Amino acid sequence: MEKKEYDAVILGGGLAGLMAANIVASAGFSVAVVSKVFPTRSHSAAAEGGIAAYIKGNSDPNDDPDFMSYDEVKGGDYLVDQDAAELLSAKSGEIVHILDAWGAPFNRQPDGRIALRYFGGQTYPRTRFVADKTGMALLHTLFEHATGFKNIDFYNEYYVLDIVKEGKDVNGLVAMEMKTMDPVYLKSRALLIAAGGLGMLYKHTTNSYINTGDGYGIALRSGVALKDPEFVQFHPTGLYPSDILISEAARAEGGILKNNKGERFMARYAPHKFDLAPRDIVSRSMTIEIREGRGFKGGYLGLDLTHLGKEYIMERLSLAYDAAKTFSGVDATEEMIPVRPAQHYFMGGIDVDITGSNHDLNGIFAAGEAACVSVHGANRLGSNSLLETLVYGRETGDSMVNFLKSHKNVESNSNVDDIVNTAYLYIKRESGEHFGTLLNELRDIMWENVGIFRDKKKLEEAVGKISDLRKRSVNMYVTDKSSNYNTEVFNAFETRNMLDVALAVSSAALNRKETRGAHYRDDYPNRDDDNWMKHTVAYLGDSEIKISYKPVNFTRWKPEPRVY
Amino acid sequence: MKVAYYPGCASHGIAKDVDIATQLVAKDLDLELMEVDDWNCCGGGFMDDKSEEIHTALNLRNLEKVKTMGFEKMSTPCSVCLNSHRIASDKYEKDPELRENVDRRLKNADMEYDGSVDSEHFIWTLIRDVGIDKIKKHVKKPLKGIKMGTYYGCQLLRPYEVMGFESPYNPKSVMDLVAATGAEPVAFPLKSSCCGFPLVGINPPVGLKMANNILSDAKNNGAEMLVHPCSLCHLQLDVTQLKIQNQFKQDWTLPVLYVTQLLGLSFGYTPEELGLGKIAKDYLRERGFV
Amino acid sequence: MEEKEITVNVKKYNEKDGVFWKSYRVKADRYTQMTEVLRRIKTEQDPSLSYRASCHMAVCGSCSMKINGIPSLACKTMAFKVMDEKGEINLESMDYYTEVRDLIPDVDTFYDRMYKVMPRLYADEEVIEGKEEQRMLPEEQKEVWKFQGCIYCGLCVSACPSVKADEKFLGPAAHAKGYRYIADDRDTKKEERIDMLMDSAWRCTSCYMCYEVCPQDVQPVIAIKKTRSHLDDYRGPETDVITMARKHDNAILELINDTGKIKESSLYLKTFGFGEAIKDSINMLKSGKIKYAFTKDNNVKNINEIKKIMGDKK
Repeated sequence: MEKKEYDAVILGGGLAGLMAANIVASAGFSVAVVSKVFPTRSHSAAAEGGIAAYIKGNSDPNDDPDFMSYDEVKGGDYLVDQDAAELLSAKSGEIVHILDAWGAPFNRQPDGRIALRYFGGQTYPRTRFVADKTGMALLHTLFEHATGFKNIDFYNEYYVLDIVKEGKDVNGLVAMEMKTMDPVYLKSRALLIAAGGLGMLYKHTTNSYINTGDGYGIALRSGVALKDPEFVQFHPTGLYPSDILISEAARAEGGILKNNKGERFMARYAPHKFDLAPRDIVSRSMTIEIREGRGFKGGYLGLDLTHLGKEYIMERLSLAYDAAKTFSGVDATEEMIPVRPAQHYFMGGIDVDITGSNHDLNGIFAAGEAACVSVHGANRLGSNSLLETLVYGRETGDSMVNFLKSHKNVESNSNVDDIVNTAYLYIKRESGEHFGTLLNELRDIMWENVGIFRDKKKLEEAVGKISDLRKRSVNMYVTDKSSNYNTEVFNAFETRNMLDVALAVSSAALNRKETRGAHYRDDYPNRDDDNWMKHTVAYLGDSEIKISYKPVNFTRWKPEPRVY
Repeated sequence: MKVAYYPGCASHGIAKDVDIATQLVAKDLDLELMEVDDWNCCGGGFMDDKSEEIHTALNLRNLEKVKTMGFEKMSTPCSVCLNSHRIASDKYEKDPELRENVDRRLKNADMEYDGSVDSEHFIWTLIRDVGIDKIKKHVKKPLKGIKMGTYYGCQLLRPYEVMGFESPYNPKSVMDLVAATGAEPVAFPLKSSCCGFPLVGINPPVGLKMANNILSDAKNNGAEMLVHPCSLCHLQLDVTQLKIQNQFKQDWTLPVLYVTQLLGLSFGYTPEELGLGKIAKDYLRERGFV
Repeated sequence: MEEKEITVNVKKYNEKDGVFWKSYRVKADRYTQMTEVLRRIKTEQDPSLSYRASCHMAVCGSCSMKINGIPSLACKTMAFKVMDEKGEINLESMDYYTEVRDLIPDVDTFYDRMYKVMPRLYADEEVIEGKEEQRMLPEEQKEVWKFQGCIYCGLCVSACPSVKADEKFLGPAAHAKGYRYIADDRDTKKEERIDMLMDSAWRCTSCYMCYEVCPQDVQPVIAIKKTRSHLDDYRGPETDVITMARKHDNAILELINDTGKIKESSLYLKTFGFGEAIKDSINMLKSGKIKYAFTKDNNVKNINEIKKIMGDKK
């Protein structure tokens, strides 16, 4: 097997991975960025609305970073580590300046300064944007910047199988080139997992097809913990019926949600913030409206933009307009856009501290949606995911540089062959379970039982069924035996990852007996700070999830009722 | 029916036969072609590289003349002139900043334009205003049995949002006109690829290669002759065909007709009256049509 | 929602079996995207079917392919809109790129073209060090964003005739990317970029194919035209193409300015010179096409109007 050596290997070519790659490479270390897609295909591209930032001299005169941190803490229903939130706010202005210096074409004010707008849960407007394709614009900026480094090698369309370890030390990873199916061992002292989210676990998701929780699965199998995996965000405005994201920008720019009676129903659920209440609240309200018969036939509600005027819609919300037109045949300048909630984001992730370091293994880091730094707590605010990928991508890059400066190479190939041999089993086997069957079952279970409204019965059933699916998955096989872009094999690998992380999500959800942020228990409808003001830490055992806890870091904000 | 007619530079120059045939066919079909007063070159495919403003203003000068003549639209036999005028109108309509600057240039020449005049290809006039049925009625000498490659080129079709007449991927206009003459239309993959003319003055080897690709593709798909809709394709594929075929050491030629030349033949005009070249004349003689 | 069974014919390819077509029957409704059709085929019928897909909302540029012969993004294509009267749809890999597997071609050549144009901003040192804030007017942002909209889908390159005929042409997407930085006043390498892009810019035929196929409405051909408008700023080597472009350009400008029209024969002489003209005349003589070669049209009568309209170049 081919072996290549780098100082750092980064799994994932989205915003977090590329930001860290830029940082580590500019410190002079060699970097390999490994992704199962060409980097601009990463899910970061799909982020629409913007990036929140407090920029001194270019923000609301009443705003300051503390308001921003407070919004995050409250938005996250107090499960936020407040030191992490404060860091996120404090560095937000800097990060926008860096992106601007690297060429991001942010929308501008008439005097040439970067423009801003309101987003859900913000006390003052802070969201910076590039039309409604902010993620794509920033991703391209970072990727193109990264291609200017001679010491970054891109392994595009390489699928990562598992982490190579020597005792408690990370020693790189094994990947397979999708074009040739040849495995390669990428050895490194530092490993960053920035492989994004897990939307494909759910039948209805705004996420890309590639969001299969690979980073979480790989981490769990290597004995690395996930933090707070029960917290899954459902975005209020998935386009009906394709679940394509209609950005929160649509509501931020004045769009209004309406039920089949034409009522602005959010007035009843969030009398101050209305449609711009945090996403968990809006999604639940919408689900209730639909459940109680005030949705439209087929199970959706209306997002009304018509009063904004055609020109404004075209300029600020062109993607939303195009999506509604192309995918639902609706002209948003004249009719309401049909929307319903869909899975959107995973607040949980690989357990890391404020420096992006995980402490289960030496040399392992995580950033972006793959990580749980605990800036989003129980519910993420809009415009904060792009911000997190960049701020913590950079922080983590710095930590990796420090780590590399103080850690020497460890020589070993210990589990390299095992990783490859296990992977080849799917190809060698001539019969057994097929990934498609397992996957479709899994996506149904997650949507029905581990969705917006949860309870003990549903969750117990989910844990049971997922455990069964995991047992069956041991016998997965593929019909395709060819050796160029054998995507069936990669789908099988993805399914393995999805099943592992699904077990963690459902088990942690069953375990947390309270309602907080996006985790809503019909049987425990209230927040219970006395017993549950703590992070879940989940490890993968042989066939079950082992749960322990970690305290939430408080700096200055005491829990209050969450009213919008 | 009176039609404002914009011949374009090429059809009043080396591609004169395009104009000759178009005039003859128009007369038969009761179209009275009124040449646009004191028209100027549209600068198509060239002037917009230099300056969008000048390009737009030059094209609008022509459209303003059309308006003064009392017409709401003009018709041209040249796809490049068509594309140039339509793109100019489109930009003038959609880009307020450009509009302001163009208006200033026109005003400088004591002109004013209200954006109301449309430009169309002579093919569109034939299909929309005359109609295929009426054309069929004029066919005296059907070209039965001739396999006619139907070529569209680029400027007639693209961009669709500006041209708007027919599908840029599955165009039918030339095919329908060919079928009306009794000839057998032959589609070929490169039917809407560029003939390479725009490169002839800048990068001749590649320009000629593209022309050879078109001719070869039509021939390989069974075409005996080729019909096209553009004065500049005419320069490229017909007028300089021997140069192309010498360059690529081809031992064959493919007779090329402008679309009204084909109609003219079926209406009973002689190759001489239609200004056909030797390659086409010889082939028609060989096939017994002359 | 009314469902209907459609037939999807896929041109498959693998090293062992070569090219072959396979048909699938799939249930769809009027909201079904072609990426979803492919996902259904793959998870329910033929797991070996290989294709690329990611965002399913036309921003990642993965699912480029030919749908009924038309270069398209599968996600942006609704099955019901493209099926024929028999409910059939044909899928093929993009043109131009080497086929590797089913609907997955090798698009490395596309990426290489992008890398060639220094696709990144080189800001002022003061800005990079954080000492100075960059400003950018909204109009400029609009121009930059228009050409930054490229999603690396590769469709324009697959459909471009110049790419196929001329290896020195960088291709539409790379030109859009290159021009995006020329248009960005925050960049410090404008001259270098103009020098790098100019020769290639003149290798485009302006056939508008890229404009037509681009799923993001980037209009690469317009970027190429805008790059050409910097010809006078070009300081790079005088390549054949550049030399001819200058000659050809000046000749046309002069003709339009003096006569209001292009006289092909004069233009020809001015661009190619007398020797080449004689050679071509012989060919035209042979093909019976010489008789119109010296046809000369009237000049524009009111030539002052033309001169006033042309005024200064802007």
